[in-house]
Amino acid sequence: MDESAEKGNGSEGAKSPPAAPDPLGELRRLLFVAEEAQVSRIQERLDDPEIHAEDVSRVLPEAMVLRAAKDDALTQVLQPTVEEAIVTSVRRNPQVLVDALFPVMGPAIRKAISSALASMVESFSETLEHSFSVQGVRWRIEAWRTGKPLAEVILLRTLVYRVEQVFLIHRESGLLLQHVSATAAGVQDADMVSGMLTAIRDFVHDSFGGKEGDSLDTFQVGERSVWIEQGPHATLAAVIRGTAPRELRTVLTEAIELIHLEQADALQKFAGDATPFERSRPILEACLKAQRQQKAERVPGERRRRAVRVLRAALGVLVVGLALWAFFAARRNRRWEAYLGRLASEPGVVVTAEGRSGGKYFVAGLRDPLAADPVAMLDGSGFSRGDVESDWKPYQALTPELIAARARYLLEAPDTVKLAARDGALVATGSAPNRWIEEARSRSRLIVGISRYDDRALTDADSTKLDGFRQRIEGRVILFALGSAELSPAEVIRIREIAADLKQLSRLTTRVGRTARLEVIGRGDSVGTEDVNLGISRRRADRVVAALRPEEIGGVTLAVTGVGSARPLRAEVTEGDRELNRSVSFRVILADDHEKESVRR
Amino acid sequence: MIQKKICMLGTFAVGKTSLVSRFVKSLFSDKYLSSVGVKVDKKVVAVGQEQVNLLLWDIYGEDDFQKIRPSYLRGSAGYVLVVDGTRRETLEKGIILQNKTEELIGKVPFVLVVNKVDLVEKWELDDSAIAALGKRGWPAFKTSAKTGEGVENAFLTLAGKILEPSS
Repeated sequence: MDESAEKGNGSEGAKSPPAAPDPLGELRRLLFVAEEAQVSRIQERLDDPEIHAEDVSRVLPEAMVLRAAKDDALTQVLQPTVEEAIVTSVRRNPQVLVDALFPVMGPAIRKAISSALASMVESFSETLEHSFSVQGVRWRIEAWRTGKPLAEVILLRTLVYRVEQVFLIHRESGLLLQHVSATAAGVQDADMVSGMLTAIRDFVHDSFGGKEGDSLDTFQVGERSVWIEQGPHATLAAVIRGTAPRELRTVLTEAIELIHLEQADALQKFAGDATPFERSRPILEACLKAQRQQKAERVPGERRRRAVRVLRAALGVLVVGLALWAFFAARRNRRWEAYLGRLASEPGVVVTAEGRSGGKYFVAGLRDPLAADPVAMLDGSGFSRGDVESDWKPYQALTPELIAARARYLLEAPDTVKLAARDGALVATGSAPNRWIEEARSRSRLIVGISRYDDRALTDADSTKLDGFRQRIEGRVILFALGSAELSPAEVIRIREIAADLKQLSRLTTRVGRTARLEVIGRGDSVGTEDVNLGISRRRADRVVAALRPEEIGGVTLAVTGVGSARPLRAEVTEGDRELNRSVSFRVILADDHEKESVRR
Repeated sequence: MIQKKICMLGTFAVGKTSLVSRFVKSLFSDKYLSSVGVKVDKKVVAVGQEQVNLLLWDIYGEDDFQKIRPSYLRGSAGYVLVVDGTRRETLEKGIILQNKTEELIGKVPFVLVVNKVDLVEKWELDDSAIAALGKRGWPAFKTSAKTGEGVENAFLTLAGKILEPSS
């Protein structure tokens, strides 16, 4: 400038030195000679980038502070550059950033892990706690009844909770920044509660917690618990009634993070005026609202389900009860019908009335004294004797069974006799002593309901016995040696047997009023003369009679004959035949009074 | 409404708790003092047109200041230093307390309250000692937790000092 000014001066001076050809220019030159030099220096600086950078560097930090205070344009402008710079740095050498972040990352990761573990332990201990309480037992029963897993039942039950109040507390001073409440109660004095919460946390931290960062996150007061979520400048405390799920912890964490994000400035500058934190109300209210909805949704559905279950159980009991009642009633009826059926088929029993009255069965009718006892028939029918009211009147039944039974009773029939009533006749079969047979004939006329007595098929037991003895005696033959009337010892024994039979025969005939006669017939073989044979046959018969000892056999008449060889027991062909004819044989003749003889023979 | 955290400081049996419990709004019972070691109460005072909500942290009195936890003092906007007029050593310990507190939380407004003025005949502290403190810039008040004398004034003065922009 100085140069040009001088040049200007020179040229102008050369052209028109004496007069002032440009007085205005001259004046300007004179007036601004000093400033002109200054201006040219400034121009120089502006054009020199080095000097320019130096100038900017001097004001840059202040300028950034000023601009950052005004708006966030600087942040927006810098953001892509910074991001790119970090990316580039990592690409080039990650170690630099790793070293820089290491002190921050460690604690951050530890905190994340420990908070995750804490919420897991929380839900674990919840499960454990409920496993051993009365409520836990109730839930187990519910799980068993509904077939749901226990964990699901516990989850359903533990959802009953409400976040009643949320405090936003200034961390350092414990002053209340904001407070929301689900209920009207407890709104007043929140500021004191806020201070106290902080004091208690400090107390616990100072007493038990050691390290910075350890803090009281939960405490329990009766059925309420206080969950605390700590931020760098503010603390969130939620007062919860009931047992909240661990998800709530996440809700609180997110809330405190959001507040720090939105109001970092206000938090840092807080000096007792809580007005700016009016803005955080919606965030805190979200902590209340979300949890209340869950509860409102759950309860009516649960009630309805429970009501349905109770109803279903009651119906079940009713149905089972009815089924049991029907089963037992049907069984009783079946048994009763069976009992009545047996009474109806029982001879000598007539049912005239039956039924139920006052919960008890009754039966009335007629019963022949000789018929089965209807009361005794209750045994084994499914009823006890006390279950049934019985009223039986006696009568005489004229059914064949009862006639026979009455006849047996009246005639005192022995077991060997069978009696049956048939077409008005009483038929006796079997065998009976002769005396009973006689008596029955006369007494049967007195029995009601029969017109005839038939004992043709009835055997006289005494006659049968007598016949037996007779056959045994007549079956025996006493043998003699040729030409001899002497008894061998074997024949003597046989004669004694005959004598014993005779004695019994004699007793029996005496009892039944009959008489017996024994014919003793002596024989001889056809060898020799008839006179001799007659003589020896007679001697042989006498000899046997003597051996029988007639004096011991009373009641039996003896008739002794010797027939020689006239009536041989067997026609003599062989020597054996002859031996048989040298003998004594017997014949028994039984005699009654003549009438009887004629009837029976 | 502006809120401020105020600490009640003072050694054993100087009447801190009585001052608080009789003249402030109380929500918590005194048993917290012995169990938790602290109780928070509220005192609302008017400074000019403004209502100030003072939250009073009453610390369980201990002779040995070493045991007072820094966390109680943290965030305090001011404190009330209570001494017992009938016991000279409470003032001496009070002065130590004040020093320690200033070390921990820096210079914040406070007032000195000489309690038990109702027992003035038994006082071991004379007015000159109190006046000497006044010269050191300590605003001192004679109070009685029994009669209420001076209590309102002390709190009001503290609130005023806290709200002074220059303090």
